[in-house]
Amino acid sequence: MPPILKATNLSKRFSTLQAVEDLSFEVQEGDVYGFLGQNGAGKSTTIRMLLSLIKPDDGTIEVFGKSLRQHRQQILQQIGAVIEKPDLYKYLSAIDNLKLFARMSGIHPTTNMLMSQLEQVGLQGREKDIVKTFSQGMKQRLGIAIALIHNPRLVILDEPVNGLDPQGIADIRNLILRLSKEDGKTIFLSSHLLNEIEQVASRILIIDRGKKVVEGAAAELFDPAKTVVELLTEDNNTCAQLIQSSMEWSKKMKPARNHFILMEMHRNEVPAFNRWLAVHPVNVLSLQPRHSLEDYFLQVTTAHQHVPAYTN
Amino acid sequence: MYPLIQIELFKIFRRPRTYISFGAIAALILMIQFGLKVDGQEYVDFMLQSLGSFDIEGQVLNGYLVCYIILQLMLIHVPLLVALVAADMISGEANMGTLRLIFAKPFTRSEVLLAKFFATAIYTLLLLVWVAVLALFLSTTLFGTSDFFLMKSSYTIIMNRNDVFWRYVCAFCFAYLSLLTVAALGFFLSAFAENSIGPIVTTMSLIVFCTVLGTLNLPVFQAITPWLFTTHMITWKEFFDVQTDANNNALPGTIENISLIWKSSIVLIVHIIGFVVATLYVVKKKDILS
Repeated sequence: MPPILKATNLSKRFSTLQAVEDLSFEVQEGDVYGFLGQNGAGKSTTIRMLLSLIKPDDGTIEVFGKSLRQHRQQILQQIGAVIEKPDLYKYLSAIDNLKLFARMSGIHPTTNMLMSQLEQVGLQGREKDIVKTFSQGMKQRLGIAIALIHNPRLVILDEPVNGLDPQGIADIRNLILRLSKEDGKTIFLSSHLLNEIEQVASRILIIDRGKKVVEGAAAELFDPAKTVVELLTEDNNTCAQLIQSSMEWSKKMKPARNHFILMEMHRNEVPAFNRWLAVHPVNVLSLQPRHSLEDYFLQVTTAHQHVPAYTN
Repeated sequence: MYPLIQIELFKIFRRPRTYISFGAIAALILMIQFGLKVDGQEYVDFMLQSLGSFDIEGQVLNGYLVCYIILQLMLIHVPLLVALVAADMISGEANMGTLRLIFAKPFTRSEVLLAKFFATAIYTLLLLVWVAVLALFLSTTLFGTSDFFLMKSSYTIIMNRNDVFWRYVCAFCFAYLSLLTVAALGFFLSAFAENSIGPIVTTMSLIVFCTVLGTLNLPVFQAITPWLFTTHMITWKEFFDVQTDANNNALPGTIENISLIWKSSIVLIVHIIGFVVATLYVVKKKDILS
């Protein structure tokens, strides 16, 4: 089956900053495609190129098998998007905002349609309130309602959980899962939060400094056989020597990072390792299993940290 | 594009800011009318002092004169009120984060921008109609109509009462061109900013700057002043300058300097088209980063 979205060799430079470089990816129909990268990695620039808000310096974009450049209007009719945190029209009510964007998408919604859309995002009862009185989470949900009102085939959500409280994040997550599982929508979801992507995505692409770092099915990338264990003890040197002397665990040891001992093992082996530590003269301060992708993402993130870790 | 214009009008007229202009105009005009109703005769007497002995039939302080006084006083204010909305049309959307949502909809950027400009033009027209209702119709209702006695800097014109109303209609039509030029300027500046304060203030500053440049009347600026839009914004007054016969009597239905009106109209229309085309060019080329 041809991909619903295909980006080939996308590049974009803003004066001295190479925001996106030679980026290629494909999204299949029905995917929840997690687009992951830290802040400033080039996610929003890529998404804006997909929506023809930014013109790529190089590369092509095909959506629904057609060139975005040549069939822009036809393609955009079938895309719904929430781009970062729109404030929307603060002086209008939720239902007026929704109606206005529905008309811009070429449909004349009935009040029932509008109400049902607001209900889907949990804004029933607030339809006549002006958006100025809404929390960020409510605005974000209204943004999603706006993105969905014209029943698009492809939904693009750029950092939809940014700035939301835990309940707001859970609401958006449930909404994405429902859209994917029940309505069969293809969702292109960007975030800098791996754990959020992990819970909903079927495929994942990680970018860093505008370049593709890794792409693959979530099931493969979150392979439990590649769990990385971060270990912190009172005396890491003694503990490391102890592990190296063990036939069972020494092969699983990886180069230390920061002040952690790193081990790679199957997730099922973690309890046994914990028990082994417990019977040895080691005072464990923390033992944190992470899957390899999370560990990798952490590496990428910490490589660009602006303020060094405080280690006292 | 018609639905887009409807949407833009809906947005304009649902904003509280829009009604500031209508409220401000009403307050100003009503204040002037109240002042002239109370102390208008003194004002007229003072005005006539310079003429020395002069016999006048009818009522000098009538609705037509009051309307003229109002229009002269409001000449600088109404453009500023137009700028308040026009200069917000693109930058305001950028500020709210809605510009990126609009441009990701299945319309071309040119369609969106033209719809925005047409909506601004309709708002400007309604604002001017509001001025006309209050300044002309309310003044003629409150002060009545009579022959129009108008003192220019070096001469005085007396127009028959039946020869005035059409001049106001023409003057308001011309004023619409002037205001539309200001709207187009504000709209153009709006394309460069991500909040509306900058373009609003810049539009106002440019109007003041160009007006001052025009009134300085220094030889060094004479090459450019004929092409400044502010020079032509006051041409509406030409509709109240009449041709005279050999006895210096005003000839009804005539305009003294019609060629100046045509020239000014062309200069203003060129400005409007120029600003709108430039806006389309700038925004079409622009990466939407707001």
